[in-house]
Amino acid sequence: MDPGVSSAQRHVLTYMEDAVCQLLENKEDISQYGIARFFTEYFNSVCQGTHILFREFSFIQATPHNRASFLRAFWRCFRTVGKNGDLLTMKEYHCLLQLLCPDFPLELTQKAARIVLMDDAMDCLMSFSDFLFAFQIQFYYSEFLESVAAIYQDLLSGKNPNTVIVPTSSSGQHRQRPALGEASMLEGVEASLFYQCLENLCDRHKYSCPPPALVKEVLSNVQRLTFYGFLVALSKHHGINQALGALPDKGDLMHDPAMDEELERLLAQVPGLVNSVTASSEASCLPSRTPPRVGSPWRPLHHARKVDAESDGSTEETDESET
Amino acid sequence: MIPGKYRSVSGRATNNVNCGLHLVIQTSSLPEKNKVEFKLHKETPSFPGRLLQHDLERNYSSRQGDHINLVSSSMPSFPILQRSSEEKILYSDRLTLERQKLTVCPIIDGEEHLRLLNFQHNFITRIQNISNLQRLIFLDLYDNQIEEISGLSTLRSLRVLLLGKNRIKKISNLENLKSLDVLDLHGNQISKIENVSHLCDLRVLNLARNLLSHVDNLNGLDSLTELNLRHNQITFVRDVDNLPCLQRLFLSFNNISTFESVCCLADSTSLSDITFDGNPIAQESWYKHTILQNMMQLRQLDMKRITEEERRMASVIAKKEEEKKRESQKQSLLKEKKRLTINNVARKWDLQQHRVTSIAANQDRKDSDSPSQDPCQVDGSTISAFPEETGSLDSALSNALQGLSVTDTHLVEVDGDTLSLYGSGALESLDRNWSVQTAGMVTTVSFTFIEFDEIVQVLPKLKIKFPNSLHLKFKETNLVMLQQFNALAQLRRIDQLTIDPQGNPVVSFTLWKYYVLFRLSHFSMQKINGTEVTQNDMIMAERLFGILAHVASSELPQYRLISILGDARKKQFRYLLETKGKKPGVVSEENNDSKRLVGENTNRATLNYTTRDFYNEKLEEIKEKKKFCKMYIEDLVKEATEINMKNEALQKLWPQMFIELVRDAVIEIRNKSSYMKLCLQQITDQK
Repeated sequence: MDPGVSSAQRHVLTYMEDAVCQLLENKEDISQYGIARFFTEYFNSVCQGTHILFREFSFIQATPHNRASFLRAFWRCFRTVGKNGDLLTMKEYHCLLQLLCPDFPLELTQKAARIVLMDDAMDCLMSFSDFLFAFQIQFYYSEFLESVAAIYQDLLSGKNPNTVIVPTSSSGQHRQRPALGEASMLEGVEASLFYQCLENLCDRHKYSCPPPALVKEVLSNVQRLTFYGFLVALSKHHGINQALGALPDKGDLMHDPAMDEELERLLAQVPGLVNSVTASSEASCLPSRTPPRVGSPWRPLHHARKVDAESDGSTEETDESET
Repeated sequence: MIPGKYRSVSGRATNNVNCGLHLVIQTSSLPEKNKVEFKLHKETPSFPGRLLQHDLERNYSSRQGDHINLVSSSMPSFPILQRSSEEKILYSDRLTLERQKLTVCPIIDGEEHLRLLNFQHNFITRIQNISNLQRLIFLDLYDNQIEEISGLSTLRSLRVLLLGKNRIKKISNLENLKSLDVLDLHGNQISKIENVSHLCDLRVLNLARNLLSHVDNLNGLDSLTELNLRHNQITFVRDVDNLPCLQRLFLSFNNISTFESVCCLADSTSLSDITFDGNPIAQESWYKHTILQNMMQLRQLDMKRITEEERRMASVIAKKEEEKKRESQKQSLLKEKKRLTINNVARKWDLQQHRVTSIAANQDRKDSDSPSQDPCQVDGSTISAFPEETGSLDSALSNALQGLSVTDTHLVEVDGDTLSLYGSGALESLDRNWSVQTAGMVTTVSFTFIEFDEIVQVLPKLKIKFPNSLHLKFKETNLVMLQQFNALAQLRRIDQLTIDPQGNPVVSFTLWKYYVLFRLSHFSMQKINGTEVTQNDMIMAERLFGILAHVASSELPQYRLISILGDARKKQFRYLLETKGKKPGVVSEENNDSKRLVGENTNRATLNYTTRDFYNEKLEEIKEKKKFCKMYIEDLVKEATEINMKNEALQKLWPQMFIELVRDAVIEIRNKSSYMKLCLQQITDQK
């Protein structure tokens, strides 16, 4: 591979590889309606961010765009859970993640939960927004965070990977030692020192990092901070969220008018609401079964609904379902 | 009528029974009939056959006492008895001293041939002074105050000994009375039958109204025909089968409550007459026929003849009871076996669950020699995350498994409308040929101690073999993810779902019920874990997960939809497409089925569940393809870059090349005539 190829280009290749792979897997089905159409659909879905639905974890993790799309999909699908106000455990959130990605690893969810709970009791309940933002940081920047953790440990134990020790000048070493003494007595590490290391990290590494300016902003507010304190600050920072571009601002987290509209439409089709007259007469019993929907997956949903509207009125169908 | 001359003075006046006092009693000749009260025959020494105990019990008040002379003796305490010689000759062998207010036995002189002696109704406390009467056959001490049997050791001919209504506490000192025929000890305080084993001629033994609590020690009484044990506190009877001649046994008014406590009676072939009235056993419903059935030799029960009809009834009832007992025994055996099997399955299941814990723990601890107690540690909490490692068994664990005595590894039970499966081996039973009737009756299927992933694989079979199953129950099946409920969508219909919290961590999630309702909404389930599903529940489920369904269906690209839905459903869709041509009125069973299958909310159909193993398999398969694709793309990229490079190079070089081309052309055409010649030359060469 040409070393000159940039990361963006590399990701395009990832998608091409994946596209070809998908083609291979489903060649009988796809050959029916044309390869060109397949590629069109594929790259369209990549643009829309729906390509990661129900895919394996290795694919979802492969590119930053995939990660961001996944985060967005998770938010859209389960926003209603958050809106409902339920507080869930880490395991339950993991379950929800698994609904979208069957082999999503537990460790990631655990790490995300640790950010929210500040490494405290892991069985605690978390709110949707807390978890989502922490998860975003953990998932999108996983490699970055790993390196940060290593740096933090180093700093805690006194080793500063940044300092260039010049043997001749003793002043650098002298300045080093008091810092060490401070670090051991107080919690966490010194913010400015930490930032210097992070800056270097961002320059050196090829995977995605949060914009250094924003990181500086986060670190400038405090004198010292712990690892999880840092992560929490990252997760709550609006700027970083916007830079990522996957999720809306915290205040708008529960708003998605398009989806809400869709939801209302779906709710209207819940069995019983249509036959509300008959349902009310039998107090606690469930109404008769839904007339079966005669839609095929190829037809868009609204066609199927039209069919339903027809069958709702017919007594024939209701009689059938009564038996 | 007693002639005045012989009237008894003993009556009231001079009844001073103090020692030393004179007591003058005159014998009288009694009318004949009174003489034979106790049916003694002078001639025959042996006793007549029947001596009813009633007669003995009653005080045979007959003569008012012989008139006897009792003179004071040299011994201070004992009066001496003397009879007139007339009387001695008349009644040479019998002597009656009843109601004489005697407190001691008087010394009886000169009556060595006496055979019958009657001391009834006195106040005698000790049997004494009769050792010289060695011919005595009949001794009656009824209604006295005797506390101990004694003083009889010389009376070797004694046949009848009547000691009723005394204060005797213990049967003793009867060793020499080997000819004893009748022994009456009723109305005493005897608590134990003992010291009678040598009385091999004894025919009647009366121990009524004593303090006996049980009956045993009856060996040796080889002639005993009648045993009266009425009015005691007997709770059990033993050794009666050692009495070869026993015909009548009276156990009225005791404390017998079960037949087992008198079961030895069944082995006694001689018994013909028995009474149990007044015992708790007589109040039982099974009393009569149990006795009759177990004692076929009986002729009379509770003083009533046993008729043939009664016997027949008894045997019929007894047979029925036997049947019932056998049935219930079989049932309890079956239950026990079931319980054991279920316990075994549970143990295996626990081991299986903890095996993963122990392996994981071992890897954590990096212990080289795994301690043998690992399998036995009970964590209490099973793993909620999917077990990552499936490695080989620990050596300690395999030892533990071998130590288990596994009677059965699984259990399948059909109980009316419920099919219960315990243990993963039970799933194979779904392949069995179930009769249509049995299979049709099953409405509830219960899975216990089986991994849910294994159950998922047999759900199609379940659908076919048990079409009427409406209620599914899961306990200890390792349901850990909401996704697993997706697998239930392939069934025909579910009305009720019961997920037992034990062994199913998914129940601890807040949202699990709503997810089930959402995913399986096409079943219109009525109950989950016993609680009715309300309209609000359905709405909430839709509200929580409706968008997921929408995203899963409308936002997936077409090719993904199809590949996820898979081959089976494609066939269904094709069938549906074909049936569209049929008349709308035709409603066949198949049509309904496929309609229902397809009728599942198609926007949810993409939410599937593949078991962990299958998923990993699939991923493995894809790896090859991915590698190939990667290489292919790389080649393409290389090609493209090469072409690109060539293109760029061409771009760079093209101006120069173009200029050279033009220059060459211009140079060529410089000399018109030579150019023309050259061209012509080229043309002719070509030809």
